[in-house]
Amino acid sequence: MRAVGVSLISVALTTIVIANAYYQKKQFYPSVVYITKSNPSMAVIYIQAFILVLLAGKLTRKIFFGQLRTAEFEHLMERAWYAITETCLAFTVFRDDFNPKFVALFTLLLFLKSFHWLAEDRVDYMERSPVISWLFHVRVLSLLLVLGSLDYLFVQHAYLSTMTKGASVQLVFGFEYAILLTMVVNIAIKYILHAIDLNSDTPWENKAVFLLYTELIMGLIKVILYVAFVVIMVRIYTLPLFAFRPMYYTIRNFKKAFNDVILSRRAIHNMNTLYPDATPEELQAADNVCIICREEMTTASKKLPCNHIFHTACLRSWFQRQQTCPTCRLNILRTTPTNNAQQQRQEQRPRAQPVPNPFVGPNPFVNFNPFQQLLNQNVPNPNVQAPAQDANQQGGTPNVTPTQNTQAGSSTSQQQANVPPFGMPPFMPFPFFPFVSQPPVPPQNLRSLSPEELRRMEGNERENVEARIQCLKNIQVMLDAAVLMMQQYSASVAISATMPVPQTASSTPESTSTVNTETVASNSSPKDNVTTSTSTVNNILNSSSSSSENATNSNSPSDNKIPSNLSAEEELRRRRLQRFQQPAEQQQ
Amino acid sequence: MAGSALRRLMAEYKQLTLNPPEGIIAGPINEENFFEWEALITGPEGTCFEGGVFPAKLIFPPDYPLSPPKMQFTCEMFHPNIYSDGRVCISILHAPGDDPMGYESSAERWSPVQSVEKILLSVVSMLAEPNDESGANVDAAKMWRENREEFNRIAERIVRRTLGIPT
Repeated sequence: MRAVGVSLISVALTTIVIANAYYQKKQFYPSVVYITKSNPSMAVIYIQAFILVLLAGKLTRKIFFGQLRTAEFEHLMERAWYAITETCLAFTVFRDDFNPKFVALFTLLLFLKSFHWLAEDRVDYMERSPVISWLFHVRVLSLLLVLGSLDYLFVQHAYLSTMTKGASVQLVFGFEYAILLTMVVNIAIKYILHAIDLNSDTPWENKAVFLLYTELIMGLIKVILYVAFVVIMVRIYTLPLFAFRPMYYTIRNFKKAFNDVILSRRAIHNMNTLYPDATPEELQAADNVCIICREEMTTASKKLPCNHIFHTACLRSWFQRQQTCPTCRLNILRTTPTNNAQQQRQEQRPRAQPVPNPFVGPNPFVNFNPFQQLLNQNVPNPNVQAPAQDANQQGGTPNVTPTQNTQAGSSTSQQQANVPPFGMPPFMPFPFFPFVSQPPVPPQNLRSLSPEELRRMEGNERENVEARIQCLKNIQVMLDAAVLMMQQYSASVAISATMPVPQTASSTPESTSTVNTETVASNSSPKDNVTTSTSTVNNILNSSSSSSENATNSNSPSDNKIPSNLSAEEELRRRRLQRFQQPAEQQQ
Repeated sequence: MAGSALRRLMAEYKQLTLNPPEGIIAGPINEENFFEWEALITGPEGTCFEGGVFPAKLIFPPDYPLSPPKMQFTCEMFHPNIYSDGRVCISILHAPGDDPMGYESSAERWSPVQSVEKILLSVVSMLAEPNDESGANVDAAKMWRENREEFNRIAERIVRRTLGIPT
């Protein structure tokens, strides 16, 4: 109503202006000159022209679109406001050649742009509209034809004028119409895809994929156009501020299209490789309806690991957004890689087993103080070793007792100095020898724990906590024993390599027997040596059988944690013990 | 063949017309546009909204059912989980990933398995049992928690208004 009023007023004003001019000048030509010379008259004429353009727009819209939907109208208005502000910004760049023709060209551009937007919305709506009449097809096709040819003409004109007359405002128009031309191509492709889909009796599953790729390619072309335009504008005029917003949106859309294509490809790949096609029996058992589109599943359905069945196309579009099962929300991507990882781990485990880590990982010799050893025993004396080993075998603890106090930081070195097993040579070359024979493997399961022992370790009472701490201490003892064993072993290897045989012959008779055998054994093969020490550790193991399972448990996670350095290991142990003691204290 | 969103909406419309759930009527406002629906929800019995008939509008996205629709009551509402402009705030209407209130677990979010019927049933149960922890309408949530009588009085006034009975 208001629009009608405004246009009527405008027409009335124009009539008055023309009548006035004609009344004053009586002739056609002088009246035209009079109107163009008088500013108020020109203003009225411009307003009239503007309103005529609007009316023409409405008429064309009626012809090509009929009644606009509310959403379309809102969309149009929103975009129009942005376009108008950007046009005003463009005016500032080309303020030197600001004239009516220039404004008219920009108005025409806006006018055509708005039809591009409307056509885009219309074609997008094709997919959602229940009834598509032949009129719709005629309208869209003719509109696309008109818009496309207009865009092409303008691009050509801009190109020619730039080539002949040099860079001018035509640069902007050429570029704008080139963008619009890509838009027309995009809309046409979409229209063709939708039309093919509409005319087929079965849903076209790959349409979404084609649309994605169209979007991607068109986005790329637009991005290239915008970048080229900005570069040219910066070189010839100044920074084209008015192109920044659309450029930003174009780049964003391109990025989104790119991501979509990647996600879609990944989804398709996953579906093709990971999930089996549903068999007809499974389809029948599962109600035969795809719960995403609520249609029957006759062809191309996939079964997920959670046994839910969907159309392949429905799943693809869903997986593009989320990698979960639509029904039970099982994370599809997360379940499969972990399975693979587990398999890999399982494959790796047997390979790793021949060399159990706890005894290999840490190098217990790093912390040795060779000078101290040099002071204490310049010549390794087998006499000392024999009793030490005896004690080892009988009591099973003299070597390990020092580690049981928590302040064991220095205990290892002391221990090494005081009771050197097998007489450590002053300067060890510290080579690393892999175990030739199997080290003691603690029992693998909890069955070796008696029910009583288990009960003792359950609960939060003080005695339970103490039992657990005791258990951990036993593990510690075992670890120490293992370290010792390793030391003994490498020491004996070193002796066998360096020590001359006659030295053993000079020792006391009682010990010679053992030591002789030892050295001979170590000379011949280090294996026997190891077996003796193995027995030592086995003794300890027996004495602390309750800890056996826990030992394996706590060993395995700490495999890689055990620092290569003994003092750090002690530190770790102390901290663990503290952590166990704290809850015990809190309990009381 | 029409788009999958349209076909699915048509299927749901058919289903809702053939087996309407009790106390719920829903369908497209205009059969030329299946992406805007109107729904009438009866207030659940035994609650302060009992007897009321609440009109609401459902707007479906072009990629339905991959994205959830939006729901908005077109009558005056006073409820902890309904914004003052009528928009409904329940987890079933939120796509996983967006969580306006920060309370919802992804298990109760939108997924293509949900449907208009399930949404409307959820809204009915929301009317019966407001979730005052994620308050879209803080005043209503506060009143629901602290001054139930006043809340019931306002609810009754709204019910009478929806029925056209002068208050």
